[in-house]
Amino acid sequence: MTVFHFLNCAFLTFGPHVVYYSATPLSEYDTIGTSVKAAAVYLGTALVKLVCLATLLKVPENDSFDPYQELMKVFIGFIDVAGLYFALTQLTHRNISQNHKFQAVGLGWAFADSVLHRLAPLWIGARGLEFTWEYIFQGLEANANLVMTLSLAALGSLMWFRKNKPRTLIPIIYACALLLATMPSITSSLVSLPYYLLGQTYSNIAAT
Amino acid sequence: MSPSGELLASISSALAVAFVLLACVELGDAATAVGVYRLIQYDLAGAPLGSRAAVINHHAAALPLPAGADLSRSALVAPLLDLPLSFLREYLVEKKHLGGLLILLPTNHGDKESADDKGKVKGVLTELEKLLVHEQVPYPVYFALHDDNFDNLLADIHKIASSGQPASATTGGYKLVVSSAEPRKVSSPTISNIQGWLPGLKGEGDSEQLPTIAIVANYDTFGAAPALSVGSDSNGSGVVALLEIARLFSRLYSNPKTRGKYNILFGLTSGGPYNYNGTSKWLRSFDQRVREGIDYAICLNSVGSWSNDLWMHVSKPPENPYIKQIFEEFSDVSKEMGVSVGIKHKKINVSNPRVAWEHEQFSRFRVTALTLSEMSTPPEFLESTGGLHDTRESTDVESVIRTVRLVSESLARHIYGLKERNIDVFAENSSLAINPHYVRSWLDLLSRTPRVAPFLQKNDPFIAALKKELSEHTTDVHVQSDALDGMFTFYDATKATLNVYQVASVTFDLLFLLVLGSYLIVLFCFLVITTRGVDDLINIFRRPPSRKLKGA
Repeated sequence: MTVFHFLNCAFLTFGPHVVYYSATPLSEYDTIGTSVKAAAVYLGTALVKLVCLATLLKVPENDSFDPYQELMKVFIGFIDVAGLYFALTQLTHRNISQNHKFQAVGLGWAFADSVLHRLAPLWIGARGLEFTWEYIFQGLEANANLVMTLSLAALGSLMWFRKNKPRTLIPIIYACALLLATMPSITSSLVSLPYYLLGQTYSNIAAT
Repeated sequence: MSPSGELLASISSALAVAFVLLACVELGDAATAVGVYRLIQYDLAGAPLGSRAAVINHHAAALPLPAGADLSRSALVAPLLDLPLSFLREYLVEKKHLGGLLILLPTNHGDKESADDKGKVKGVLTELEKLLVHEQVPYPVYFALHDDNFDNLLADIHKIASSGQPASATTGGYKLVVSSAEPRKVSSPTISNIQGWLPGLKGEGDSEQLPTIAIVANYDTFGAAPALSVGSDSNGSGVVALLEIARLFSRLYSNPKTRGKYNILFGLTSGGPYNYNGTSKWLRSFDQRVREGIDYAICLNSVGSWSNDLWMHVSKPPENPYIKQIFEEFSDVSKEMGVSVGIKHKKINVSNPRVAWEHEQFSRFRVTALTLSEMSTPPEFLESTGGLHDTRESTDVESVIRTVRLVSESLARHIYGLKERNIDVFAENSSLAINPHYVRSWLDLLSRTPRVAPFLQKNDPFIAALKKELSEHTTDVHVQSDALDGMFTFYDATKATLNVYQVASVTFDLLFLLVLGSYLIVLFCFLVITTRGVDDLINIFRRPPSRKLKGA
């Protein structure tokens, strides 16, 4: 019964990627090679990010919200964007249209992200007797991540492939790209910001 | 999108929202792991007794049970005071099957409990123990200490049960899992008797052996849960009293000027609950001349919770001159102390294998002996041997000190011939004063150590500790090991870890699969329609145009 639960959560986590690949014209044009290359680039990017995080960030002594650390994390998040740029522009792909290229790259990127971050906890945790909602949440998170990655790849392709963009849209595109790139940092700080502000107000009250 | 697809999409999204809401309401607790102690499993002359199984892997149920509940596939969790013994008896007598039983022992709340509460708990525990130890229980029975985790667990089980369905694989709930190895027989259980001597002063021209006085106490216990059998009063108090007496007399005997003309033999025996099997083997191991040299033996049994009355149990009639003399010595000292010592005579029946007091084993070897105990009547077989209620709280240091004073003063008067001389040998604030800290620390240690003999190996650290302590005060310390009487066979697996899991039912998983399937199908259709067009979607499901049509 618990293997059942594991299979359920696995379908939830990885199913959409497979469905996306088979439903859209990606399967017709056999873009699996592009996706695999994008997955490999993601692996490299993840390693670089880990090394940077380990070198530059300090272990937090207390649970307070440190704006400088968060800023540091945002900067390291841009390595993600750089990796995506590399995957989109620098790698040689077969003759596929821009349209499909960004989709394939985004799909490969999101699939690698899911596998690396979520497969191991799923395998170890979801097969136990104890039932938690955690793995279902993880699956939903994987779905959201797929959407986010695809949109980031789309914005990336807009930024770097299209040479004749309408002038008015350029700032919007760049703003959206910035927002998406920093999305993980934004979500984590949204969680801890109230506590930081609360702490600040209390210390102000105590000081007066 | 077609109307049916829309409906499906809206239903699946509604269900998803419902799931998320449910998650916010009750985020499941993580599994808890608790140490639990198994009911003893043993064979007495071939008859299997006690709990015969160790593994539990069932859903949890709690009292009060819903009507018509089938308990053969559930494990019942019940606090001690809520468990009606009639219910248990009924289950045992009618041989109804239970998946498992977990009894929660009340933890002491210190001063908050009144004497009535304590008495009630003690009564219930004694009855429960008597019931379980003498019956064959085909399902696993475990004891655990009741704490807040269990309170929450019981409340949750009640909530689920009150919703109408008993817990089972399809309705979710809590699952209790105790994974323990199959209980195996304890191979060749040993009983180890520890003895030490304080040799007396042999004067010049004394060619004969000095007479010996023996002080004996049995240190092992037996109870419903062997891992919890600490036997603080029975017989931890006796052991502590013996050690303190040994310490005091070793001080007296260390100086040749105050060494008496008696040898003192200290014996810590094992195998007490099993008709004092160990004492008998110990006495048999003695040389006959040594045995004949024993003037009399004082056995200590349960001296830790009396205040005014102590009993001296004898097997020789009280008119016997030796017994009379010893009793007078005790009475004199007790009068000075303000307590009373009564005498009880119980004839021994040699053909009856039941040995209720330790002195009876001495009497069978024709050695004069008596037992000092706070109990006025002899205990039944496997009763008052350090059961579940016999914890540190049921003993107090003062009683042990009183016993030590009584025994050591009378002994000193006998050895040094101080009758009628009104001397306090072990006076307060003297160098021979009884040390309450010594008594307290040993009593605490004994109350933390379960001491069921078959589970104490020959080289158990506790036996080594007793030997070391005795050798601090006495000489010629010797550990005599022997095999336990063949009538008893014990099984191990006395302690285990209970894991409590909160499980989701099978229906939940099936429902989730359904929702997931519909979500993926909807996603697929959505993507095909947006990227390739509706016609493509329909084309996937249409058969390829038949050749017949083309040909015709």
